[in-house]
Amino acid sequence: MSTWYAMNVVLVQTTLTTLLLALSIQVPLRFGVFSFAGVGAFGIGGYGSAIAMVHLGWSTWPAVAFGAVVAGLVVFLLGLVVQRLTGLYMGMATIAFTLIVSVLAVNGGDLTGGAMGLYGALGEISVLQILLVVLLVVALLHLTELGGMGRRVDAVRDDPELANALGVDVVRYRQFSFLVSGLIGGLAGAITTLLRSTITPAEVNFHLVILALTAIVVGGSRSWVGALIGAVIFVWLPTWIGFLAEWERVAYGVIVAVAAIYLPLGVLGVAKDLWHRFRTREERARVAALAKES
Amino acid sequence: MAETTPDQEAPLLEVRDVAVHFGGVKAVDGISMKLWPGRIYGVLGPNGSGKSTLLGAMTRLTPMTRGAFVFEGQDYTKKHARTIQHMGIARTFQTVRLLEDRTVRDNILLGTDSLGRETRKEAAARVDEVMERLGIQEVERMRPDELSYGMQRRVEFARAIISRPRLLLLDEPTAGMNTSEREEISAIMRQLLEEGVTQFIVEHDVQMMVDTCDYLYAMNFGKLIAEGTPTDVVRDPAVQEAYLGKGAGKHA
Ligand SMILES: Nc1ncnc2c1ncn2[C@@H]1O[C@H](COP(=O)(O)OP(=O)(O)OP(=O)(O)O)[C@@H](O)[C@H]1O
Ligand SMILES: [Mg+2]
Repeated sequence: MSTWYAMNVVLVQTTLTTLLLALSIQVPLRFGVFSFAGVGAFGIGGYGSAIAMVHLGWSTWPAVAFGAVVAGLVVFLLGLVVQRLTGLYMGMATIAFTLIVSVLAVNGGDLTGGAMGLYGALGEISVLQILLVVLLVVALLHLTELGGMGRRVDAVRDDPELANALGVDVVRYRQFSFLVSGLIGGLAGAITTLLRSTITPAEVNFHLVILALTAIVVGGSRSWVGALIGAVIFVWLPTWIGFLAEWERVAYGVIVAVAAIYLPLGVLGVAKDLWHRFRTREERARVAALAKES
Repeated sequence: MAETTPDQEAPLLEVRDVAVHFGGVKAVDGISMKLWPGRIYGVLGPNGSGKSTLLGAMTRLTPMTRGAFVFEGQDYTKKHARTIQHMGIARTFQTVRLLEDRTVRDNILLGTDSLGRETRKEAAARVDEVMERLGIQEVERMRPDELSYGMQRRVEFARAIISRPRLLLLDEPTAGMNTSEREEISAIMRQLLEEGVTQFIVEHDVQMMVDTCDYLYAMNFGKLIAEGTPTDVVRDPAVQEAYLGKGAGKHA
């Protein structure tokens, strides 16, 4: 176990930070907002925490908190600006936001280290600490999936007009989802940066959008459990299919395509559906029998 | 029996010269009504006469061109749609609008999820009784897409009444149901009335409306063309011409 751990500690770290990144994209999706601002938040969190350590001399966790809070606030404000956009337009605007973050990083002079990025922000972060942070985030998100809160969130996503008619403040819920997305994305960026001691503009890029999105599409978009499944699959996949060598990317593409076509709600969606069918097998049989009679 | 009756101080809902125009389409064009508590009101009208649009305006989901709504003495014309349920008005929709991935029980509970703690507690205690009443207890753990259309309508109905509204707006609650099911729903409406729920129903089934309602309105081209007791309205020549087609009155 301990040798396994020593060999794979980086993969464990990456799984946890990828989970946070995936959650930062999943949260707005759960509220019916097609926003990728979580990736911009990743950049802001990364630069924010690195700046706090390098320029302000802060220690690790205050720097992480600083990065996350700044990212949360910026994405919240972005949400106020773009909240009227829908679907594709929302997606485009939030991807543009991510591009702006990397452009600002390139042109930030000494503050951001320009195109070379910022170096020397090595935090002291143990895997256990990351795990605790992730557990806290997941526990809070879990509350938004339970009971009345879970139902309201589903209504905001699936039928916002109905949600309004039932007394849910759809606009506020969606603004809140931007804030949470920014905080979690910022957290992911800050932890990733301080683990590596460096961040460059090139890292705040479209590939993170793809990574987060594929993790959610394959794992499941409706619950943190789906994001976890997706993060595990895509961080560990290269070690499992490494023998495919140059075909690895093809396999990756096939998995995503198959999931998108056949598992619209991801691996988790399939599992939930099976459980639902098993649980309701008796009443469904009765209803089917009744329908035949009449 | 139920003309504008002055034994209550104020109507439960007053509709004042409400109009909803979509560009050139005058979907609702100057409607005024007074709904007194303790009655079932019905609206008849041919397809496209503006009935659903009127309900949309009443629940402030549809932007209005002019007019005002006053509920229990309070003008709520400028309020946001999400505040309507809190005031004590609940509705169903002409098309079934349920959460696909949620069970019947969850869908019903959604009807009070945004209301006060007391109301939610009461709903949790009452949900079994409400399902029983609508005959959907058996399927409480199933999802809407596993149910027949009529069953789905019952779930909608349950979601609207779980909050104990003082005014219930129903848009074709028995569409897709057979005669015995319609009678069942009609009986539930009369029961609800006894529990103090004033109702405003849009339906195409004239016989059912005559049997169920205390007072009828008839609409055409966004305007009221008749109102009064069900038998009077159904016999009204303007209504017969617009809605029932000439000579169809003898069925009613
Ligand atoms: N959002 C909208 N935009 C433009 N026109 C609309 C809109 N909603 C309704 N209309 C039009 O307004 C008119 C009234 O429609 P409404 O749905 O209120 O009729 P209805 O009486 O409920 O009919 P039905 O019995 O078929 O349900 C119709 O001509 C319809 O095409
Ligand atoms: Mg209609």
